[in-house]
Amino acid sequence: MTAAALLAATELEVGYGGAPVCGPVTVSVGAGEAVALVGPNGAGKSTVLQTMVGLLSPLAGTVRFGGERVDERDAAFRRAVAGVLDEDAFFPSLTGAEHLLLTARAHGVADAEAVVAAELAAFGLTGRQDALPTALSSGQRRRLALAGALVRPAQLVVLDEPERRLDTAMRRSLADRLVALVDAGAAVLFASHDPAFIGTLADRAVLIGDDECPVVDPADAVAALQEG
Amino acid sequence: MARGAAEWSGAAVRRFTRRATAARADTSWLTRAGDALSALTSAGVFVAVCGGTVSSLREEIAARPAAGAAVLPGGLTAAAVALALGAGLVALFARLGPVSATPAAAAWWLPLPACRRSLLRGELGRAVGLAVAVALTVGVPAVLAWTRTLPGVLAGLAAAGLLAALGVGLLVVRQAGDGARWVPAAAGTVTALAVAGPAATGCLIAAVGGRLPRVPGWSSPAVTVGVLVGLLAATVVGLLVADRRLDRLPAASLRASGETAQYATASVFSLDTRELGRALRTTVRRPRQSLTWRWVRAPWQAVVAGDLAVLARSPWRWGQLLAGAALPVLAARTEGLAEVPVVVAVAVVLGWGAAATALGEPGRRAAASPAADRALPLRAAQVVWARAIVPVAVLVVVCGLSALLVGQGTGAPVAWLALGAAAAPAWAGAALRAAYRPDLDWSGPVLSSPMGAVPTGVGTTLVRGPDAGVLGTAPVALALLLGAAPWWLVGAQLAWSLALGALAVGTAQPHD
Repeated sequence: MTAAALLAATELEVGYGGAPVCGPVTVSVGAGEAVALVGPNGAGKSTVLQTMVGLLSPLAGTVRFGGERVDERDAAFRRAVAGVLDEDAFFPSLTGAEHLLLTARAHGVADAEAVVAAELAAFGLTGRQDALPTALSSGQRRRLALAGALVRPAQLVVLDEPERRLDTAMRRSLADRLVALVDAGAAVLFASHDPAFIGTLADRAVLIGDDECPVVDPADAVAALQEG
Repeated sequence: MARGAAEWSGAAVRRFTRRATAARADTSWLTRAGDALSALTSAGVFVAVCGGTVSSLREEIAARPAAGAAVLPGGLTAAAVALALGAGLVALFARLGPVSATPAAAAWWLPLPACRRSLLRGELGRAVGLAVAVALTVGVPAVLAWTRTLPGVLAGLAAAGLLAALGVGLLVVRQAGDGARWVPAAAGTVTALAVAGPAATGCLIAAVGGRLPRVPGWSSPAVTVGVLVGLLAATVVGLLVADRRLDRLPAASLRASGETAQYATASVFSLDTRELGRALRTTVRRPRQSLTWRWVRAPWQAVVAGDLAVLARSPWRWGQLLAGAALPVLAARTEGLAEVPVVVAVAVVLGWGAAATALGEPGRRAAASPAADRALPLRAAQVVWARAIVPVAVLVVVCGLSALLVGQGTGAPVAWLALGAAAAPAWAGAALRAAYRPDLDWSGPVLSSPMGAVPTGVGTTLVRGPDAGVLGTAPVALALLLGAAPWWLVGAQLAWSLALGALAVGTAQPHD
């Protein structure tokens, strides 16, 4: 664990109904770092992510953000952490642009309308900004959800398989956006199955396994991923 | 981007969402006023119907001689039923949160830095309003049974509404603390005991030839006003504390409750009672250890083993069986109700129907996820026949004991026991016919009625299951009218019940 860890999990056990879904996780992510969680389907990556942002209670171990125990009910934590965790839910009567404007204004983003327009353009949604969610395709809704995480300032961005339902060009574009965020000092914690995404973005990787979850070099994680 | 503007408050977030929604809504204020008027008219009709029914029942009861084994005062039974209904409502609202966030709100509101208290205040208000409306609706018959003076009815309804609001406030406080997961189970236990306790007490007192004294009610307006003022104060304090705790509600619990509430609401609007049950059912208890099922030798035994495991791990259903067996007994032991066989017969249908519904749980699960059944080397019809074994076996005990205690004091206890047990096949068939019923058919013809259009296709689907049970209970109802259970009637009950049960199971087929 680094001294400047922003989010740190120590001997973290996660699961449902008291039964752990994977081995204990010890990992930290600091400012200007990106850490990937890698493992097969059902390994427990999403459960680890949800526990690390306080949406699930740990079975054992601790998760700290800025040295304090994670509590998503704390407004300061929500101000600092943005995330897209397997959510595909939208207000049926709000357009895509209104979803982003709501998020930007609620976070006190200066010149919110211009920022929203820029995010819509970055995710290829400019022409669909006034469409209601039901009129968007599955991929467009995914891009809208990701734009919601990036339309606001955050110290830490947490993403669960961000590459899902994106075409190759959009995956590359998103990876480049996240690399720029990391270079600007933000931290990124993400779960992924995409070797290119992991190779481009991650500084370290955690291999989520049944008995143990070692922290490895991203190249080793990609190799493990390709070996299946 | 950078922060430079002031963050929006929770109220501003709500306002933005509400205005955007209203801008695209296709309902005008005139439409809403019309809906409100329609709701008020329906409420008025409901109160008038309840009042008329209760009044005529009172007159009929007063005109009949007292039954010997009716030893429980009517007020005690009314209090027990009110307690059971109240506990049932507590369980319902605990399952719904009571404060919840729709999946959209959970995804777009809860991660915002805005104060969660102001974001969720509207949800608290909605939960309180719904609880008060339900309490008033459920409370109308109970209050009318208690008193017929206008001040008395108003005071009773005010107390029901205040208790409902206070209950929601206390549930929110729990939800924000250690969580309210245990509340549905506890409330379910209270519901079952509130029915079974007085019924058992009544049977014991009748057995020793005693009678419970009537508890004098108070008639002092000052006491009534004092109680209501105290209740109002407690409710205000409870809701203020609940409002302050909204900030402590975790996003995960809000989202989970929101998904349940959304599922349940959709089921209510589509009139699908089976889906409503699925939406509100509690999770199956995790076993301490896996079963080995060494006694399973044949495929049909595997079906029986699976059904037993589902029931054994659904404690909520045990309470339902207990309450279902006890409800007819409670009616038969209560002064005023025991004298009217129709009321006891209605209690028999409701109670045994509740027991059959509990035993239909494995069938409902199998109908929703038929993959396991399809893996067995049995035809679909054989699976359903095998699935009838557990309901028949359990209902023989439940209906038999229930009928034995209903017939207490009329002689021939063995005949009453046999009469109840003989009704079991019909109710077991009803459980399976309901569990495997097809989806609601909205394409059928619409029948015009004074209450509006009635979709007949939906109606015929909804009665699949209960129809077999109700028809199968006719000989029991006849025994209640006769006040005796002659053996020829027991034989008729068995033949009739077996025929109906076979027909019900034969028409209960899995569908794709």
